[in-house]
Amino acid sequence: MNKVGIPRGIFYYYYKDIWTNFFDALDIPYIISPKTNKKIMKLGLKGANDEMCLSMKVYLGHALYLKDKCDCLLVPRIANFKCHNQMCTNFLALYDIVNNELAMPILNYNIDLEKHKSLKEGLFNIGIKFNKSKKEIKKAYKYALKEYSAIKKEEIENNLKKLSTNKLKILIVSHPYNTYDEMIGADIIKYLEDNDVTIIYSDKFNSKIVSKLSYKYSKDLYFKYNKDNIGALKYVEDKIDGVIFLSSFPCGPDSITNELVMRQINIPYLNLIIDDTSGFNGLETRLESFIDMLGDKHE
Amino acid sequence: MKECYLGVDIGSISTKGVIIDNDNNIIAEKYIWTEASPVEAVRKLIKNLKEKLPKNYVLKGIGTTGSARKLIGLLLNANVVKNEITAHAVGTVTFYPDVRTILEIGGQDSKIILIKNGIITNYAMNTLCAAGTGAFLSSQAKRLGLDVKDFGEYALKSNNPVKIAARCTVFAESDLVHKAQAGYEKKDIIAGLCKSVVMNYLNNVGKGKKIVSPIIFQGGVSKNKGVVKYFEEILGSKVIVPENSHLMGAIGIAVLARKNKTGKTYSLELENIEFHTKGFECHQCANNCELLKIYKDHKVVDSWGSKCGKY
Repeated sequence: MNKVGIPRGIFYYYYKDIWTNFFDALDIPYIISPKTNKKIMKLGLKGANDEMCLSMKVYLGHALYLKDKCDCLLVPRIANFKCHNQMCTNFLALYDIVNNELAMPILNYNIDLEKHKSLKEGLFNIGIKFNKSKKEIKKAYKYALKEYSAIKKEEIENNLKKLSTNKLKILIVSHPYNTYDEMIGADIIKYLEDNDVTIIYSDKFNSKIVSKLSYKYSKDLYFKYNKDNIGALKYVEDKIDGVIFLSSFPCGPDSITNELVMRQINIPYLNLIIDDTSGFNGLETRLESFIDMLGDKHE
Repeated sequence: MKECYLGVDIGSISTKGVIIDNDNNIIAEKYIWTEASPVEAVRKLIKNLKEKLPKNYVLKGIGTTGSARKLIGLLLNANVVKNEITAHAVGTVTFYPDVRTILEIGGQDSKIILIKNGIITNYAMNTLCAAGTGAFLSSQAKRLGLDVKDFGEYALKSNNPVKIAARCTVFAESDLVHKAQAGYEKKDIIAGLCKSVVMNYLNNVGKGKKIVSPIIFQGGVSKNKGVVKYFEEILGSKVIVPENSHLMGAIGIAVLARKNKTGKTYSLELENIEFHTKGFECHQCANNCELLKIYKDHKVVDSWGSKCGKY
């Protein structure tokens, strides 16, 4: 194994700063697939079955794109972050799906905190596979974590700073793999920015704080990423003008969580569900009227 | 010379045009089918409106709304191009200042708009799926061998609407076939269809929204008396269908055209204007954007669909 391939989808958006810094520190070469484009989307649609959500189809597209460009693919298996913090069950299966589809070596590690399998242990095993010494790995892991924390801290600060502006403020409740994907969220973000809206992102908050806040909406939820998202909403609910719920079709955790929250909040919201239909017209109508409405109220 | 303003609402199924004066009186109106060619429909519409417009009026503003608003905005040189939610709300508030809820079911969209003190406070629109909209009703009318215009009358005759699955058009359709083959009367099936439209709307679009009266119902489907009846029955309050319910979007955008008037005078002469579009796929990067170039008098006036902004 020489070169690691990192598909730009799903887990990439959560772990990119840890992975890249870790590999950099250990001198392990890697390649990240480019931003999602039509070609990658087509690959994904071809390889996916019809039950997968759009985000998974995109992920599969990235994995297929990397197939002959690297020696192994980095696909973790993430099960849970301790009790009541589960991973989407479809994403849990990601490793097996990619393994089935591609028949190429996969660099894998488990995160299953209920069984005491952690990111640290996972990355150590990867380091050993590349014949690195324990000392080197330890140093690289520490470095990656430090860099990641610094980036994360800055992101959170910038996100919170935006709350003090007088402009129209909209919180996007969405998973980062949708928000920042070129074929899913990018057009929406661009439209909002062009119309002078201050965007606050639900994924750029301190998970320790917001995860607990999600209990104010419901104590029964157990999807980690969704709890963080709606906790962020609770955190800023009275400081923003409106919320946009953005999800990919068909997302199970989103459909239950967002629906539940929509019935409890008192600020205007817009629910956008994105599939691989190419037109932006329908979305534009919804975004334009949403901004119009908030603008009238804002005045 | 008196001033007047044109509002055009180009929907997926029908194209509506009105000309209003400074006191919101309708001077001319026209309702025609879009038939999937908005430009042709608007040419026909404008020709008709021009004939109806008395000579002592001068046009001081043009507004376009509806799903083809951008395209037609370019054709007509409109001074206002706005989405249909804003247009519908403005139109309705002009005539019913104390309205609290607007229910709207059109050809492919359905929406609910909540209003307080003349300002939109919340709204929702159907998401991916067009179940329970006008297009669904007209395709079912065809299946039953009826004109969709007669649906309302049929539905009112029934005392026993059959149960039809409301969640999804595809299920509703197979339900409908089963019921027809089982021997149910046509009027009961149609009443069931109308009821399923209402249930679908309230479950999909109206979910979680507090529907307060006065309630105004508009869009093409509001002309269907059966749907109105079941709305009133299920909501338990009166539902007002304005006489001009099908024109509300056009009126709203005409009002907005007046509010944003530039002082310029507009013309309704379209016959000599050459206008066409050309669609192509760009292959300069992996995105393969579907682009649409719009030509007016053989010059490119706009192009849409580019992700990188090159066009």
